[in-house]
Amino acid sequence: MSHATLASACAAVLRRDLTLAWRRRGDIAMPVLYALIVITLFPFALGPEDALLQRIAGGAVLVTMLLAMLLALDAMFRGDIEDGSLEQLMMSPQPLALMLGMKILAHWVTTALPLIVIAPLLAGMLHLPTAVMPVLVYALLLATPLLSLLGAVLVALTAGSRRSGMLLALMLLPLCVPVVIFAAGAVAAAQQGLPWLAPIAWLGAALVMALVLAPLACAAALRIALDA
Amino acid sequence: MANWIPLWVHKLSSPPNFYRFAGVLRPWALGLALLFGAIALYGGLVLAPADYQQGDAYRIIFIHVPCAWMSLFIYGLMAVASFISLVWRIKLAEVVAMESAPIGAAFTFITLVTGSLWGKPMWGTWWTWDARLTSELVLLFLYLGVIGLYHSFEDRRQGARAAAFLAIIGIINVPIVHFSVNWWNTLHQGSTVRILGPSKMSSDMLWPLLTMMVATKFYYIASLFGRVRTDLLSMESGKDWVRQIADQEGRP
Amino acid sequence: MSPFSWDHFLTMGGYAAYVWPAFAVFFIVLAADYLSPGLRRRRNLRELRARMARQSARQQQRTPASP
Repeated sequence: MSHATLASACAAVLRRDLTLAWRRRGDIAMPVLYALIVITLFPFALGPEDALLQRIAGGAVLVTMLLAMLLALDAMFRGDIEDGSLEQLMMSPQPLALMLGMKILAHWVTTALPLIVIAPLLAGMLHLPTAVMPVLVYALLLATPLLSLLGAVLVALTAGSRRSGMLLALMLLPLCVPVVIFAAGAVAAAQQGLPWLAPIAWLGAALVMALVLAPLACAAALRIALDA
Repeated sequence: MANWIPLWVHKLSSPPNFYRFAGVLRPWALGLALLFGAIALYGGLVLAPADYQQGDAYRIIFIHVPCAWMSLFIYGLMAVASFISLVWRIKLAEVVAMESAPIGAAFTFITLVTGSLWGKPMWGTWWTWDARLTSELVLLFLYLGVIGLYHSFEDRRQGARAAAFLAIIGIINVPIVHFSVNWWNTLHQGSTVRILGPSKMSSDMLWPLLTMMVATKFYYIASLFGRVRTDLLSMESGKDWVRQIADQEGRP
Repeated sequence: MSPFSWDHFLTMGGYAAYVWPAFAVFFIVLAADYLSPGLRRRRNLRELRARMARQSARQQQRTPASP
């Protein structure tokens, strides 16, 4: 009996998830639309004053991204649990953590990447200075994978439970507090003309840690949650 | 299981034995908690002089600080019990971890409420995004997440194992949150008011505080044992020893 | 040290509105936390007794029918 090589297994999981996501293109657009709606509401709630919107722009965009990702997080493993393909994956000879890492990557590509693409547009709607845009994108490029990885662990934990939507938000909040603080801190520092590299570096360090640990934790959590 | 664990630990960790053990110890723990609590309250509310800066409002620290300390202590203990339950699959450790969570959440809640009642006359506001208060709020959410996850499973033991895993993730998260919240506070020049100076406490104020810390420890033991006993009964409700207890308590 | 007076004790030097509610919350929350498992325990045991009674009733019904 010959097993598929690790690289080809990873590629297969990635390709399968991306194909599935592509067949349901409408779902990819949903978080983007949600973020657009939320950002549109801010000027209506706070008034169209430029200085005020400029001051909150970075934080508002970051929190909106986080909420949009949370919206999509719930569905990360749902289809795979329902059709049993996740259990197939758990029994496959390849390391589960690596396969889950590929699934998280696919999820990040389909939900977070479109959000990052429209982030400058959303920030522009709130008059964030153009000079700060690159910092916002760097912060998002580091913060969104971190959120996907942390969220995946929690989604795996709730895999076998009855309800999860609100519970997931409750569980994610303490974990995403540091992420939001450092990402928004970088944007705020850049806006005030202060050095912004330190918070970005902290985010990067956290991302490297999470890249190694989160798939392993995710695999362990999934084994606990689906262990009937 | 490993050989180095002494035999009495095995015996104690069997549910009926622990049920009896906890039943014997619980009234003593509660009695000591009430005794130390009464001494601490007398010392704190009557004997200790009023603070020269804060008047009598500072007396809230005699419950605020012990509760804050307990909220962290119980989280740590819950994480240790969670680790034991995941590694060795001891039923008692699962129960201890899951029943610690509501007690810890209660202490965290008291810390937040008393902190805000203290903050109103001192800072002039009920809530401020001070580093310590914010960390405590995040801690409350951690506790609520653990409790919520535990109750969202049909199977109790599976829920306990999932929530135990979450508790361990949480204990890694607590120092990160504390560090990041401190950094955030310096970034935004928040209102960091230092009320509890490092060496300002006189001994008249210190001993009631320490006595109250002892009292809350004993209270935790008493409350935990009561909860664990209840949980063991409902988890083992098919077993003979539980039926005997139900029979005995059913007779008038 | 000033001598103890009830008046000063109850008014807490003008801070009674903050000090006493704080202690009240402390005692109420802890009392609720301490008493709640007792109620749960009583309910569980009552359900268990009902289940045991049903089981024994079923067994008694079955015994005379068997040859």
